[in-house]
This record gives sequence, structure tokens and C-alpha cells, in this order.
Amino acid sequence: MPTARQLEFESLIAPHLSSLYSTALRMTHNQNDAEDLVQDTLFKSFRAFDQYQKNTNFRAWAFRILVNTYITAYRKAIRQPQKVSYDDLEEFYLYKKLDESISLQETAKEDFLENFFEDDVKDALENLPYQFRLVVLLCDVEGFSYNEIANIIDAPLGTVMSRLYRGRKLLQRYLWSYAKKRGYVLDEKI
Amino acid sequence: MLKRGVMFLMKKSEQKKYDCEEIEKRVQAYLDNQVSEEEINLIEDHLSYCLPCDKKVEFEKKLKAIIKYKATEKEYPKSLEEELKKIIKSR
Repeated sequence: MPTARQLEFESLIAPHLSSLYSTALRMTHNQNDAEDLVQDTLFKSFRAFDQYQKNTNFRAWAFRILVNTYITAYRKAIRQPQKVSYDDLEEFYLYKKLDESISLQETAKEDFLENFFEDDVKDALENLPYQFRLVVLLCDVEGFSYNEIANIIDAPLGTVMSRLYRGRKLLQRYLWSYAKKRGYVLDEKI
Repeated sequence: MLKRGVMFLMKKSEQKKYDCEEIEKRVQAYLDNQVSEEEINLIEDHLSYCLPCDKKVEFEKKLKAIIKYKATEKEYPKSLEEELKKIIKSR
């Protein structure tokens, strides 16, 4: 018979298996590695369960372990952040590009977003440098607040915001290039 | 005195307006619900009369929703549930 503690852990973590796996898959790029990463996370979080303070944010706690496990396992594979200047990344990039290139009606601009293939959105995300990818996933896909993300990735709030904002701008560039490749945008003027 | 008071009030109300540049600076935090109540009011006030900004912000909102929807895995390997059961029994 499982103990109360075992059952408590199971009931707390089971609802998050799906989102832990989803994040793991975006971070590792393949299903086997994602599965391994989640398994390691389950193992480590169960082992550390005594340190979890009751009635605090369990979901953020589990994600923190996922992120730590990922960084430890992929330390060598994770490339150093590229020394690229992100200063020229502007706000509303995708919107402005659409505005400049085609005279779409507002509804068509919204359709344009709907038409993106799931794989293109996933690819675009997976191409982001990992630090940016992580915060974009945690915020936009998993819905964590800036404070929760700061806690999960163990970084100051300012770092979270700058990575998130740059990551999203970069993502818009990638999405734009997919749109062109796929022929969603036909009559680009510039 | 009265005149100075009115001037002061006017100045204060003039300060409390965001221009397009300030919307651009805050749009991401606004969409993430990470701005104060006061900022929300200022942003929404601007959006109520500035159609170009309103359109851009609506587009960003939609994009954020699309990313969430399309990047969320709809399924996960059931083996993880078995693994979870094994792990909790191991100790």
C-alpha cells in the first residue's frame, strides 16, 4: 500500500505531467530525451519532496527542478549565449512587416496567425537560444508570472524581462521567415 | 492661488497620458498582466483613442494566444504515469 506521502506527491504532480513534458520536448527537441528529462524530474522531485513547503506553489517548484535537471544534463550541449546584438529588434515586428508587405484587412492579419502550422510555431520556438526559449515557454505557454519565472530559473526579475522581450521579438522574426518560406506572404514589396 | 491650483491640476492631468512610444515600451508587460492598476488605466485610455496602437496590441494578444495553443503538446507518453508509480513505490 502506498503511504500518505507517496499519494500526496502523486496527486500533486500528476496534473502537471503534460505541461512538464511539453516544456521538456521544446527544450530537448525530441520525444525520447523529453521523456528521460521528465522521468529524471519526477525522480528528483520525489526525492526532494520533504523540502517542498506545503501549500506553496507546487507547479513552480516542479518546474524549477525540471529546469535544473535540464541545465545539468545539457550543460555541455548548451551553447554559450551568442554574442548577437538584439538592440535592433523592434516591437510589433511581425505586425509591421505584414503592414508593409501586403495590404491585408485586419481580419486577414488575424487569419495569417491562425494559418501558421503548429510545426512552424514549434520550430520557431525551438530555434530560439535556450535562455530565451525557456522564459518564453514559461511565460507564454505555461502562463507563469515574472516572479515565478525568476524563481524557477533562479535569475533576477530584470533578466527574466529582458530575455522574455528579446526572445519574443526574435520569435517574431523567425515566424516572419517561415511565413515567407511557406508562401503565406506573396507580394512583399520590400 | 486658484489659478495656480488649476495650473497644477492641468499639469498633473497632462502628465497622466501615455504616448505611442510609452505603449510600445509597456505592451509586453501589459499583455502579461504585469503592470500596475494605474498603468493599465493609462494604457487602456491611450488604446481607446489611438486606433493604430489598439490594432497592434490586439495583434500581439492574438499572437500570444496562438503561440500558447500551437506550442502546447496535446498528448504526453502514458509511460510517464507508469514511471511515476514506479518512482513513488521505490522509496
